[in-house]
Amino acid sequence: MSLGPSSSAIHVQGTSTTDTAHNLPRTPTNITIHPVALFSILDHYLRRGESQDRVIGTLLGTRFENEVEVRSSFAVLHSETTEQVAVDMDYHRTMYELHHKVNPKEVIVGWYSTGSNLNTYSALIQNFYSQETAPNQAIHVAVNTGVEEGQEPGVKAFISSPVGVFPKPENCVFVPVPVELRFHDGERSGLDLLTSAANASTSTASQPIADVEILERSILTVSEMLDRVLSYVRDVLAGKQKGDPAIGRYLMDTLGASTDDLEKGGFNASLQDTLMISYLANLVRSQAEVSSRLALTTSS
Amino acid sequence: MAATSMAAALAASLPAPSAAPAAPTPTYEAIPASMSKVIDIEADIPLTCVQLDGMVVTKIIKHAREAPSTTAHGLLLGLDLDGTLEISNSFPLPHHGGDEADKNTKSIARHQASMLRSLKEVQADDSVVGFYQATTLGAFFNQSLVDTQAIHQEKLRHGGIVIVHDLSQTARGNASFRAYRLTAAFLDAYKKSNFSTTSLISHRLTFSSILEEVPLKIRTNPLLSSFLGTLTESRRPTLSPDSTATTATVSALGASFSVLDLGIAGVTRNLEQIVEAVDSYRTEEGNLSYLCRQIARERGKAENYIAKRKEENQGRVAQGLAPLPEEDVTRLFKIPPEPSRLESLLLLGQIDAYGKSLARTASTGLVKMYATKASSAV
Repeated sequence: MSLGPSSSAIHVQGTSTTDTAHNLPRTPTNITIHPVALFSILDHYLRRGESQDRVIGTLLGTRFENEVEVRSSFAVLHSETTEQVAVDMDYHRTMYELHHKVNPKEVIVGWYSTGSNLNTYSALIQNFYSQETAPNQAIHVAVNTGVEEGQEPGVKAFISSPVGVFPKPENCVFVPVPVELRFHDGERSGLDLLTSAANASTSTASQPIADVEILERSILTVSEMLDRVLSYVRDVLAGKQKGDPAIGRYLMDTLGASTDDLEKGGFNASLQDTLMISYLANLVRSQAEVSSRLALTTSS
Repeated sequence: MAATSMAAALAASLPAPSAAPAAPTPTYEAIPASMSKVIDIEADIPLTCVQLDGMVVTKIIKHAREAPSTTAHGLLLGLDLDGTLEISNSFPLPHHGGDEADKNTKSIARHQASMLRSLKEVQADDSVVGFYQATTLGAFFNQSLVDTQAIHQEKLRHGGIVIVHDLSQTARGNASFRAYRLTAAFLDAYKKSNFSTTSLISHRLTFSSILEEVPLKIRTNPLLSSFLGTLTESRRPTLSPDSTATTATVSALGASFSVLDLGIAGVTRNLEQIVEAVDSYRTEEGNLSYLCRQIARERGKAENYIAKRKEENQGRVAQGLAPLPEEDVTRLFKIPPEPSRLESLLLLGQIDAYGKSLARTASTGLVKMYATKASSAV
């Protein structure tokens, strides 16, 4: 899904150039970000020093054809003054080695900074990271945390290309690249947990939550959706609203699912299986309890 | 030479040389009255609650999913305040194969020290407060967890905490995190490394009293909350010709329905694991009873020997001879020490956890089945 406000930038893909030069690494045309990377950036921003305007760090991830997947990130020390910018390269190397040991698949793909202003220093840092990621291009992700007034939080991603007759490190053009949030389906519930925590007034959520509670919430959502669809269909039938054929087709595909299997005794068979499993589980647990108590008796 | 004599002369000329003039005198700030009750330097306030930061939640889930083995583990960093342990960061520890255990522990220790140093430089918390462990189907009882936690409980302030993350439950749509620590009774038995039957009885140990659960809360900091808010708020899909695939998921984070999955693929695996655990429990029990029989046999032999010797001595005394010595019984018969029941205790705990997870799956399965029936009957 998209991150941040939609932009009017046209993402031009230079297909002709990549086709002719197969040996050259391809230009990234799509960037995805894992929540961990994003949340680490936000945390780093919270922990910045008093004098720091923005924080920067390294992005780790994987490359696949034209797509760059940012999987994690770590903070890097840097200082910016009006005259100069300094990035702690030793620190960057050490951290990369530490991360690499744990997760060898992730390599340096680029860097992040908070705030959405690109300046000469951005170009210089970009130049440094390009050397790190060579021969591939380094990407730059700008996270706007939205704490400054009048700025909407969002994430933007860029790649750079040299500009000018004689390319200099401090000159480059940042070309925007579409960016998306991506995570594994299995990680979905973790995000749900966080959103429920974020929506609570104390911004905390207690654990553990019973499975049934979550199930109830899902079923309620489904029944709400059904209600919404029903009212839409009624409106169309009554002629209040013009029907959209596409929606009609989706509805037919979704609701036309066959439930024959369930009706023909499949339900009872399944029910028996589930009940059996439930009995078995309780039996196993009580046996375990009994034998743990028996272990406490002496044979005398 | 001249410099040192100069220094000596200077030192002599000073009226009262301070002990360490180079060291800056530390400035103590008075603890504000509002905080004086909640700050405990000596770790006197017992932990009543563990608070897990949102970033740590995603970090643990990611690491647990990507780790090559099911036992992903890492360290938790944070601080405690007024009985609440706030866990604000974590990092994974490298996974190693079973080769050269000694070298492994050394390299892990080096990794840990280096990581802590690095995190400190960017103002992240750098005090270890415990570790996390991933598990599947709720069975996290094992020797290494107990060992690590026992070490932590001695070394760390407040004894440290272990956070257990259930991978299979998370995949089913209910992200599960639980915080535990060892009970005092278990720790006492562990320190004496005595898990004989008598010790278990005196400590009243069953598998359910090895660990005690600490209440756990998930917290998102305001920045993360607001960012999640913008992520979940509905937004008009961007208009581009080939966005049909994305328009469906653009609004909010998208509803998740993995909980509604009727599939029972996990159940088979769960049943298999119960059978495995029961099997290994049986083997362990077999070993134990074999050892017990052996002990009984050896003891019987020793008693027989003593009885015989006594009889003989009585005979000798009656004949007016000096009695034979009696003290070499322990050397003659090696009575094996009583076997440790820790392993079987842990296995029982595993069986119970598998059973619990199976029961949970079954109960939600029932609800889902009736829900489908209701919807198909319409």
